[in-house]
Amino acid sequence: MGPAVDNLRQILEESLGCGDTRFLLNLAEVPMIDSTGIGLLVRFLASTKQKGGNVKLVQPSKFAVQTLRLVGVLNLFEIFDNDDAAVESFA
Amino acid sequence: MNKPMPPDSNPGRPENELSELLNIGFLADAAEIGKVADTIDETLIELDVPEQKRLEIGLAVQEALVNAVVHGCENDPSKEVRCRLQSDPLGRIVITVTDPGPGFRPEALADPKHQENLYADHGRGVYLIRQLMDQVDFEHPGNEIRMWKY
Repeated sequence: MGPAVDNLRQILEESLGCGDTRFLLNLAEVPMIDSTGIGLLVRFLASTKQKGGNVKLVQPSKFAVQTLRLVGVLNLFEIFDNDDAAVESFA
Repeated sequence: MNKPMPPDSNPGRPENELSELLNIGFLADAAEIGKVADTIDETLIELDVPEQKRLEIGLAVQEALVNAVVHGCENDPSKEVRCRLQSDPLGRIVITVTDPGPGFRPEALADPKHQENLYADHGRGVYLIRQLMDQVDFEHPGNEIRMWKY
């Protein structure tokens, strides 16, 4: 929660507002995701999908994956080990 | 953030008695949550709690503190949240978070895993706490949560 999530929300909304619909989020430096972060991810996923886009996750930590699975949203996302593979999947 | 109270040192305590490790009061400001969570994590490291358990406890505590600040105190920095970290002789950890709010009914919360709720932007905090901790109790009227990790 807090400034980190607020900043991410602002960046994502601005990008979506500019017409971007394909997003890759590299979570390698994110040790844990709380419920506020999860809420942002799924809401943003829904918004991008409505516009024909997607949000894909790269290198989430084991604990982040566990958390996403616990609340039942892990399968909503495509997960990749590296940025290149995620970018290629948008082709 | 108020200075945490020192842990007690009573080696002769009965088996069911909890040992106080931290007792922190802080004003309901979201900026304080991270500091409290860090203090708890540092204490758990000193207790040699394994990393996976520390992560699970840390996230559950963070969720409880956010609920206390946002819902219990309505982000009013004139109100205080209290967080206690205790352990029992078996090494089980118990964390209690209390706020001055009116409480709530945890049984009235929607299931975030229901299809219609999967894309909701909120409503997962208490559910996550229950999944991460081994036992969770809410004291009436719901402004105190006690979370156990075995």
